Amino acid sequence: MSSKHRDLLVTNALAILLGLAASGLLLLFLGKNPVTTMLTLFGSLFRDRYTFADIFVKATPLMFMALAFGLPFQANLYNIGAQGQFYIGSVTAVGLSLLLMDNIPGPLVLVVVALASMVTGGLWGGLIGWLKARFNANEFLVSMMSTYVALNFMNYMLRTFLMETKGEYPQTDPLVKSAWLPIFVPGTRLHIGFILAVLACIGERVLKYRKPMGLKNRPDGQNKDDAEQAGINYKPLYVMTFFIAGALGAMGGFTEVNGVQHMLVQGFNPGVGAAGIGIAILANGHPIGMIFAAILFGALNVGGTIMGQLSGVPSSINDLMLGFVMLFVILAYFVRERLEDRREKARLKKAASI
Amino acid sequence: MGTPLLYGSLSEVYAERSGVMNTAIEGIFLMGAWAGFVAAFLSGGNLMLGLLAAVIAGILTAALYGWICIYLKQHQIVTGVAINILALGITAFFQRVIFGVPVTPLIVQPLPTIPLPILSSIPVIGKILFNQNILTYLLFILVPAANFVLFKTSAGLSIRSIGENPEAGDVAGIRVDRLRFMTILLAGIMCGIGGAFYSIGFLGMFTTTIIGGRGWIAFAICFLGNWKPAGVLVGTLVFGLAEAFAILMQSRGAGFFPNELFIALPYILTIVLTVSRKSFNVPAVLGVPYRKEG
Repeated sequence: MSSKHRDLLVTNALAILLGLAASGLLLLFLGKNPVTTMLTLFGSLFRDRYTFADIFVKATPLMFMALAFGLPFQANLYNIGAQGQFYIGSVTAVGLSLLLMDNIPGPLVLVVVALASMVTGGLWGGLIGWLKARFNANEFLVSMMSTYVALNFMNYMLRTFLMETKGEYPQTDPLVKSAWLPIFVPGTRLHIGFILAVLACIGERVLKYRKPMGLKNRPDGQNKDDAEQAGINYKPLYVMTFFIAGALGAMGGFTEVNGVQHMLVQGFNPGVGAAGIGIAILANGHPIGMIFAAILFGALNVGGTIMGQLSGVPSSINDLMLGFVMLFVILAYFVRERLEDRREKARLKKAASI
Repeated sequence: MGTPLLYGSLSEVYAERSGVMNTAIEGIFLMGAWAGFVAAFLSGGNLMLGLLAAVIAGILTAALYGWICIYLKQHQIVTGVAINILALGITAFFQRVIFGVPVTPLIVQPLPTIPLPILSSIPVIGKILFNQNILTYLLFILVPAANFVLFKTSAGLSIRSIGENPEAGDVAGIRVDRLRFMTILLAGIMCGIGGAFYSIGFLGMFTTTIIGGRGWIAFAICFLGNWKPAGVLVGTLVFGLAEAFAILMQSRGAGFFPNELFIALPYILTIVLTVSRKSFNVPAVLGVPYRKEG
């Protein structure tokens, strides 16, 4: 293992521990013992098969969200709007599933719905890239704002076209079982969306380093002018990058709707986009690292929820843990830069003394 | 309704002119709104104490952000996202710690509106501009002051120069990082007040969704206002009108158009304006940490 990789693992592990410790200390304000509460959190993850598998259930959308932020980030583009792309995917998935599920066989419904969600999410995201390419609009702002627009669109659909037949709450009718993503570990909620997410991470890894698009994408990210000089027209790449990111975000919505919730409810998964950014940063933008980072965040999520049920710790502990871990992970970047600096200096000194 | 947006976008002008984006703005708004409410509520409705607490919360949050982004040279957008999540967690968590799960909604009497004599009786504008609370009136001073400080004083020249060419500023004896940190702290004070406007200046209550992306709108107004105090003033007025219109349409029942469209209107407007804005006056090194050679 190179010293760089060792630094990455050690500093990030420390960052996670410190982040958890910081949130644990705040539990003192609730009169809880941080150590025992945190141990309950982690112990409860292993209490039964169902709970343990739920970690991977929670990790599934997080992987898609991390990819949706991470892919444009590699090209120095900021997609802060993955949350909105997630909503667009969710609305498409639930709407189309409800429409098709009684008429065509289940597996076909799932394929059609998955593709359709990717297209609508991709168009929603691709629009950001297009505005950037055509009008030089700031993609950070546009993607940020597009989330709020998507949220209101979802709320509108839930209040009107997609509202349950009973007409009581802003939520849809449940999907019939044939339109659910199949579960591959019996006795749990772990659906094949998890496998799709892992494949997406691996796919992005391959795409990034092997395929011609990756070759184009990387120099573009590091320097637009270099890319231009090398004869690469980067504008279509903006659209394509954001289209793919949007499609990935929408896949997160699709797997949640057809794999877990089997319906769409107002106020659905509001923090998943921000968590995706945290995961991408924790993984240092590396798609394979995102798999593990997403599983970690999934575990925190499941543990935090159980902690709430068992000992009355409010669910805001999830945001606290996420925020603190992200903050310490950012500090870990600084520590790694310092370590690298120091090694560089030592090398120079050694070279000079010879 | 434009008051907090103007506090936010004006503070963003200071910060970004010096080369630092304040992407923690949403979190600072939230911290200000929460701290202001808690102090006001616990002191039995003392709003000045609330404002003070909001300012302190704003400074602390901004200091954390500034330390990481300016001194440790870490990524500004990513750090901002982390601080915004943390602010959400901290406010929700301590709201629960302090108040438990309240049976009745917690309310303080918000800042009173002070109609200015004579001026407030001018038709239409009088009500909009001269029948407001103290925080809005303070802006009548802060906006021209920002213009004066940034473009007519040597401090302003220093701020602008390190946003354009920090190396040259450094050679000329400006302590780049320290000055940037100062502008971020100033932004913390102003955004703390801006956040408090939502809780104790207007609604008299606090929820964790009280800011709901308005920090980002203030952030956007700074871009749209071309990094100029006068520009953000115009931008804020446009947004204030859009929001007032949206609220009016919602309360009337908009008929054919869904309410959600009006709620989303300020966000759609931001996208449209971002797209249609042509000549940008972006500080040259915006978002880039200053690293000394050697």
